[in-house]
Amino acid sequence: MKKILQVQSLKKYFPIYGGLLSRVIGQVKAVDDVSFDINEGEILGLVGESGCGKTTVGRMTLRLLEPTSGKVLFEGTDLLSLKGKELAMIRPKMQIIFQDPYSSLNPRFTVERIIGEALSVHGLAQGSELRKKIEGLMEKVGLSKMYLKRFPHEFSGGQRQRIGIARALALNPKYIVCDEPVSALDVSIQAQIINLLQSLQKEDNLSLMFISHDLNVVKHLSQRTAVMYLGKIVELAPTELLNRKAAHPYTQALLASKPSLDPTNRKRPKPLQGDVPSPLNPPSGCHFHPRCPNVVDRCKTETPRQIELEEGHTVYCHLYDD
Amino acid sequence: MHSQDPLLDIQNLSTFFHTEENIVRSVRNVDLTIYPGETVALVGESGCGKSVTALSAMRLVPMPPGNFENGRILFKGKDLLQASELEMQKIRGNEIGMIFQEPMTSLNPIFTIGDQIIEAICLHQDKSHDEARILALKVLKKVAMPSPETRIDQYPHELSGGMKQRVMIAMSIACKPSLLIADEPTTALDVTIQAQILDLLDELRKETQMSILLITHNLGIVAQYADRVAVMYSGKIVELASVENIFASPSHPYTKGLLNSLPKDTISVKLETIPGAVPHPAFLPEGCAFHPRCAEKMGECEREIPELKSLDSNPKHQTACWLYNKTPAL
Repeated sequence: MKKILQVQSLKKYFPIYGGLLSRVIGQVKAVDDVSFDINEGEILGLVGESGCGKTTVGRMTLRLLEPTSGKVLFEGTDLLSLKGKELAMIRPKMQIIFQDPYSSLNPRFTVERIIGEALSVHGLAQGSELRKKIEGLMEKVGLSKMYLKRFPHEFSGGQRQRIGIARALALNPKYIVCDEPVSALDVSIQAQIINLLQSLQKEDNLSLMFISHDLNVVKHLSQRTAVMYLGKIVELAPTELLNRKAAHPYTQALLASKPSLDPTNRKRPKPLQGDVPSPLNPPSGCHFHPRCPNVVDRCKTETPRQIELEEGHTVYCHLYDD
Repeated sequence: MHSQDPLLDIQNLSTFFHTEENIVRSVRNVDLTIYPGETVALVGESGCGKSVTALSAMRLVPMPPGNFENGRILFKGKDLLQASELEMQKIRGNEIGMIFQEPMTSLNPIFTIGDQIIEAICLHQDKSHDEARILALKVLKKVAMPSPETRIDQYPHELSGGMKQRVMIAMSIACKPSLLIADEPTTALDVTIQAQILDLLDELRKETQMSILLITHNLGIVAQYADRVAVMYSGKIVELASVENIFASPSHPYTKGLLNSLPKDTISVKLETIPGAVPHPAFLPEGCAFHPRCAEKMGECEREIPELKSLDSNPKHQTACWLYNKTPAL
């Protein structure tokens, strides 16, 4: 299968300034040595709790944030070596959909301008052709073209998210980062947007990175799932396999903490104890060891290496390392 | 099951907000009872009136623009809507506790958490500061706060989100309320922390026999923690039943739609959706507010508002829908 995106040992350290002279006194390792690929036409789910670095990874793959080190290959081209015009040429192929449909649309722009801006910036369409393209995009995401001249405040959350999706689709991208696109929406609207994303992916053979903390949504949408904890990927596997045979204790805990929809089955496993530690001062060795039910001495000192359990299923955990 | 008198009995409550442009009908003729020791979940999407119902019970609706149009809220037999502000102050935080969605903004950043819990205790109980501090430590231990002796003198910013929510719970249970209103208590928290907090609330309920009004939009939480469920849509309760019945045999088309729109265990099947969006509470459609989105709508749905009535098959399962509400043929 053709790979659209290859990420190799990507790191992002944010400096912390302090003291009288505002010198660098430490680093937040927001993303620490993360590697994965996304195949063409695939949805990769990226799950984790708040502060685990999933949004930072998503933004770095679009070069909206400069990585500290590592490589991002987009269709084989090293994204981080590109400059100026070359970078501008590749940008239309990659887009992003944001979490909050209320703050990610300019309130002073009409829908027409929001969706059409990128097209005119890149000089891809003008005048009546531009109008036609915008109308086509609105139809594609399920918005009536009557709404062309309306402003974002006149729409509900779900409709706003459709505008955000139409904007992302305007330039015919190949790869879209969806950063929690349904978290701010109501349940009955979530399903509409999930269906839309799924049909777009099939129709246009889009590749998506789907960032979410909702395991049910990721399970429903993505072909493969990566689980992050404190800046590192701890497990990566085909979604079905991950849900059936989760190997990492953190993945197991995440799956177990998902409340079951069956009121007659209330046997809940004991929830994970403790809080997510601060990325300012992560625990030594395996970052998960203070909360891990299967912790051994080695976890406290040694960072676990990547272990392939079976094809396509990798885990970072000492339990599987003999 | 309910041999006792209800603890909270909301009768025909309507809470409207009179704005300059229009009237927002947030809560419309709601009836809801909560019995001692049970957890009742109030479910619905944003803007459906679930929080306003809870705030009405606490008499925390800002007036104006808010106004109680009609109804009674009986708490232990006393109508809270007729109570004076002084009487309400004695009930709030003492007999009825409340936890909010945002533990980050519900605590005062310039006081230590100990001070805030002690204040809540001293307001309602005849205790000296030292006695209150001992009690504060005790409740912090009860909510499983890690190292409570140091935490008690810390400020909210030194605590994680989950710990702040534990402080909120500690504060609201310090006076041993008989009713705890939990308004989306875990929505702002991570999934692994969510389970900790909900299990804690459930244990406290069993231990102290308090009742919980759990407001949430997460149906998984409802399935796991509620005894009875009230589903709200556009200010009205559209279905009320035991948690088993809601999930096994939902009757209202909206409840069915909500349950069907959740991602299931099967991968990559198209999700069922409810078309359209929730109407604005100031511009509600005529008749049943759900009819523009309903697949099973009939003539009367557009004209008249259906009442919440028991199903023939199960008197404890109530639904407000014309499909079940037909008058028997004469």
